[in-house]
Amino acid sequence: MADTVNKTLEPQLNRRGFLKGCTMAAAALGLSDAMIPKLVEAAASAERPRVVWLHFQECTGCTESLLRASHPDLAHLILDVISLDYHETVMAAAGHQAEEMLHKTVTEHAGKFILVVEGGIPTKDGGIYCKIAGKTAMDILAEVAPKSAAIIAIGTCATFGGVQAASPNPTGSVGVMDLVSGVPVVNIPGCPPNPMAFLGTVLHYLTFKKLPLMDSLNRPLFAYGRRIHDHCERRPHFDEGRFVEQFGDEFHKAGYCLYKVGCKGPETFSNCPAVRFNDVDVWPVSVGHGCVGCTEPNFWDTMTPFYDRLPMVKIPGSGIIADADSVGTKVLGVTAAAIGIHAAVGVGKRLIKGKGKDHE
Amino acid sequence: MYEKHYCWSILLRLFHWMFALSIVVLVVTGFYINTPWTNTMLEYSQSWPMAWMRYMHFVAGYVFSAAIIIRLFLYIFGNAQERIWDVLPITKRNIVNLFKTLLQYSYISDEHDERLGHNVLAGLTYVVTVLAAIFQIISGFYMLYPEAAFWEGWGVAIFGNQQWSRYIHHLLMWWFMIFAMIHVYLCIWNDVKGPEGLISSIFTGDKFKHTKA
Repeated sequence: MADTVNKTLEPQLNRRGFLKGCTMAAAALGLSDAMIPKLVEAAASAERPRVVWLHFQECTGCTESLLRASHPDLAHLILDVISLDYHETVMAAAGHQAEEMLHKTVTEHAGKFILVVEGGIPTKDGGIYCKIAGKTAMDILAEVAPKSAAIIAIGTCATFGGVQAASPNPTGSVGVMDLVSGVPVVNIPGCPPNPMAFLGTVLHYLTFKKLPLMDSLNRPLFAYGRRIHDHCERRPHFDEGRFVEQFGDEFHKAGYCLYKVGCKGPETFSNCPAVRFNDVDVWPVSVGHGCVGCTEPNFWDTMTPFYDRLPMVKIPGSGIIADADSVGTKVLGVTAAAIGIHAAVGVGKRLIKGKGKDHE
Repeated sequence: MYEKHYCWSILLRLFHWMFALSIVVLVVTGFYINTPWTNTMLEYSQSWPMAWMRYMHFVAGYVFSAAIIIRLFLYIFGNAQERIWDVLPITKRNIVNLFKTLLQYSYISDEHDERLGHNVLAGLTYVVTVLAAIFQIISGFYMLYPEAAFWEGWGVAIFGNQQWSRYIHHLLMWWFMIFAMIHVYLCIWNDVKGPEGLISSIFTGDKFKHTKA
């Protein structure tokens, strides 16, 4: 058997990989190549920002996508650029030792460290649905967040509550933005987000000593400024009216637009078509599956059904769930019937009573 | 004997037809954009059906928005029949008219509470339609200019995300179709019940009142 592990996962980050990662981040940030040396300088500086990485209600997929990307240099670069003081998945320490480290960073470096939050925070019933070391996620966040310099919420759970916030949201899960005030929050949504969006934000902070420009949902504009649809490689098929009717049909094989099978690219802000994933230049639409809108607030509720254009209409109290157009057609039909009855009553009344007084 | 009364200004008639025709175009092209009913494998020719439908939808959207601006202007600065105070049930005259119209429309009473402008039931329905139109405009421009901070701010504040604005935009479209159907029916019904040149008034601006001679 070939030693694939050691071939793809180099233990050390070499200079080439380091520069390559910085250049990719500069491209993702939309910086000119003149800025790359500045970025490299900032990334190579001895003062690595201390990072506390908190895991709450989540699947650890964001960390996994960061660490196990087929581009090991990127993961190494991220771990090289920051000083990760506390991260439950990758730290060597455990138990009291680990909690001691967290406590030390928070107290000794108050106001200087970056807090990364992964996962939603349950708020129902006093937040008892997520506990670490006997403390609720709410309490841990309330303790650590005010002492941090800035917060990066990574993944859709930490930004908007994610899957556990999907209706009916049994644990009352919310994102960091809903609980923290007074500390700047950067949202890096996605399920999982592209590691480049995270790296770009960190490098921007290191180089310019400030957070990148953000939209009204606190998402950095360099990564979430444009809709997927507007940069999609299948967009010409959309304008030309060439659509996949169902998965596996001849149109699908021809690589046509996935709009009619529910692609949410037209309503999703992300740089997936430009940055792509895993160093092999793929992203969902490039391999024939529509976008599911994972970087948008409440995407589990608003983007489903994933294979239809619009959400279903739920009529409260009746248990009726139907698509918008069939409800619309029925209401229009009932209206037409009501008009017919109204007219018939009018005609009938006139036949019985004769013309009214106002028609003398 | 019939007496001629000037009722609708040229601006209101312009609003009406801009609104009506743009709605027809918006509904047809909107349905296409939501569920494109054509498909082509003719890769050697170009017809751009989706691009054209979207183009027509946007042009009609601007006409629709301009019509709403005209109507909002007339609600404040129009003539006595066009101002919003004439249709809001806030005066005794208007509340009485609302109930009398409801009774007349449900065939309970034959009394027609005559007035020159809209009856209050119709006027209120138009106010609701204008409100729905404002939501259509906000959601529409939010989808058209996703990167403009102004529309992004309002869009996120009202709808949460683009998909929800698309959903509301689509559901409200059905209101305009249902409204148009009832509107046309009741105009014909009123014209039959009490001839005052109601339908021609939206072309000419004049209504005819019966005088007790």
